[in-house]
Amino acid sequence: MDEDGETETGAYIWEGEYEKTWEALREDEAGSIQASVDDIVSRAKRRRLLERPADIRLGMMRHLFVVIDLSSAMTDQDLRPTRQHCTLKLLEGFIEEYFDQNPISQLGLVVTRNKSAEKLTELGGNPQRHITAARKAVDMACSGEPSLQNSLEICMKTLRYMPGHTSREILIILGSLTTCDPGDVSKTIKALCTNIRLVNFLDGKIGLCFHQELASYNIRSSVIGLAAEVRVCAKLCKGTRGKYGVILDECHFKDILMQHVSPPPAATNTESSLVRMGFPYHQLSANVASGETPSMCMCHLDGNEEQGFGSKGYFCPQCKGKYCELPVECKSCGLTLVSAPHLARSYHHLFPLDASVELKLSNISAEVSHCYACQVRLTEQLLYQCQKCQKFFCLDCDLFIHETLHSCPGCANKPPNQALNDSVNNRNNT
Amino acid sequence: MAAEEGGCLLVVIVDTNPVWWGENCMQTESGVDENQLHKCLDSIMVFCNSHLMLNSENKLAVLASHTDQSKFLYPKAESATAAAPPSVEPREDVISMATGEESNDSMFSRTNGPGSCGEGKQTSSDGRHELLAQLDDSLIDQLKEMILNDSSQDNILRAETMLAGALALALCYIHRMMKEHTKQGLKSRILVIKAGEDSASQYLPFMNAVFTAQKLNVPIDACLLGKDSGLLQQGSDITGGIYLQIPNPMGLLQYLLWVFLPDADTREKLVLPPRVQVDYRAACFCHRNLIDIGYVCSVCLSIFCHFSPICSTCQTTFKIMGRPGKAKKRKLLPK
Repeated sequence: MDEDGETETGAYIWEGEYEKTWEALREDEAGSIQASVDDIVSRAKRRRLLERPADIRLGMMRHLFVVIDLSSAMTDQDLRPTRQHCTLKLLEGFIEEYFDQNPISQLGLVVTRNKSAEKLTELGGNPQRHITAARKAVDMACSGEPSLQNSLEICMKTLRYMPGHTSREILIILGSLTTCDPGDVSKTIKALCTNIRLVNFLDGKIGLCFHQELASYNIRSSVIGLAAEVRVCAKLCKGTRGKYGVILDECHFKDILMQHVSPPPAATNTESSLVRMGFPYHQLSANVASGETPSMCMCHLDGNEEQGFGSKGYFCPQCKGKYCELPVECKSCGLTLVSAPHLARSYHHLFPLDASVELKLSNISAEVSHCYACQVRLTEQLLYQCQKCQKFFCLDCDLFIHETLHSCPGCANKPPNQALNDSVNNRNNT
Repeated sequence: MAAEEGGCLLVVIVDTNPVWWGENCMQTESGVDENQLHKCLDSIMVFCNSHLMLNSENKLAVLASHTDQSKFLYPKAESATAAAPPSVEPREDVISMATGEESNDSMFSRTNGPGSCGEGKQTSSDGRHELLAQLDDSLIDQLKEMILNDSSQDNILRAETMLAGALALALCYIHRMMKEHTKQGLKSRILVIKAGEDSASQYLPFMNAVFTAQKLNVPIDACLLGKDSGLLQQGSDITGGIYLQIPNPMGLLQYLLWVFLPDADTREKLVLPPRVQVDYRAACFCHRNLIDIGYVCSVCLSIFCHFSPICSTCQTTFKIMGRPGKAKKRKLLPK
């Protein structure tokens, strides 16, 4: 909520009470305030964990277009060294994290400058390709004005052909305060999200028919503003159930960007379907006896490099096409090829760990003196208890368990019959 | 003090599954008792000692993974705060005395952490290095305590080892140690010495632990005393560790010292056992068969070997559109 520049009460930050932020800081014996700063940071993280909605259907297979503003506003130096450099640097981290957390999802990059938009990379599941493109974009010259409408339409053109069970998203990183559009951007926004008032669109114009067609594709668009809140962006995000964030500084920028890594709640009218997928066999060396020979892999066919030639690889179970890495969509038969761990990596979004209870050390019997997980002596006043296994954890471990590990060490140590019952209950809830 | 290389934290997870070790004893009772827990433990102790001797900055933790719990054998909970300011230590002794966690006084006298070995508070009787003596004693005492308590508590025998829990604990410990030693650039790795069989119920927490290890850059080495383990094969392959099924348990120490003792930098220069062929195929949720081509629910990512109109996991009703896959778009349009 503070990302929108608004506090919980709905007022803007500058309308709120004067905050004496320095009073929250305490010096330790060495005179350093690092400890209390860390404390504030971890508390903020914890609060975010608690805010996470539970039992909501998520859009697990995501198709996301990231639109990067490369207008002249991006040469501004309020982010070091420039907005453009900073954005692209953070974007690299984002792409890696995105594919790490959403292995069966796809991503594409679009840049907008000089009142037009161009596609940098097509939707694809290979992080390396996007990262290379993002690195190249550092050298692109920033000029002119961005165009919100053009970028939205270029994304829509691809996204509308994506299968109905996927979550379609656009993330716009906008440095400029203005946009230069060929038509009425609000019509595009309406087209993105709703199919209400379709009739109004049907006044015979071809352009509007195009919008009407798009209307049933619900595309969630979010905006990260690098300068200040812009009304058209706020409207866009509100209309498409997206998030609008305006950054305070680089740290906050990273924070907001990384929030888009975890899958968003699915739209109510997202279809569900069974997707056919292949689990390829990984071969380490060719079986010479059966007449197998080294071959070229499908992913490096276009390049001139020698890379990709050999006997190692993943073979498509349907057409025997060879690939260097997974996940990938088979180029010849269109089957999505994944490995079981890829799917397993996404399960923690579906079965999130319950938040633990915060307790005061003094309220608990003296027997608890150490964190169950890392064996550290509990010196701080607060500790955290898992509600299922009743084990106690320190703040560090609690955060680590919820953010990275996604399974409670105490519960994982429970005998199988109990653990099994729990997981069955969990599944029923989802 | 800080060397160019910041030392290495090794977390050893020993499978102490009583069912497997018991069975093993029974089988070999007639012949030479070659593969017993205490013999195995001897080898592990030698291995741990060697690790600590390689570099003064090296650190060690040993976990026992049992059928109903996982437990730190070394360092003990009381001694684990060696890195905390020294002023805390005396109080710590008092508290643990008061809570009566350790009934054995003689044992209690050596519960000091690796950091306090310079104090000269205790000397072992046979002139061994204090740190190593502590390690051995702690290992034996804790394991004894665990096994004795185990049999008295509960009569239901469970055959599965809580490996995922032990891994989770190990990772939390590593996470903490890495945080405390950021300046020295502590490298960590996990060695799992596994005896029993995989359990399907632990798949999810196990995979979560593996991905976390991958993120923290912690290789998971696996040393298999018994049958091959599909889970650990995947785990060590994903994290870049070594997987080795030991052909002859008599030579456990030899394998440990040759294959698992060298750190990541040294390993590049050695000829190690080749990577195993890892099967990454998925098992369908309906029949637990390994499948090549399957159907995945778009809502909950459950895997099925046949098309069915309702997902058995999340009860989602799927759109019926003839054959799913490529054909569905073409079929939809004429409507």
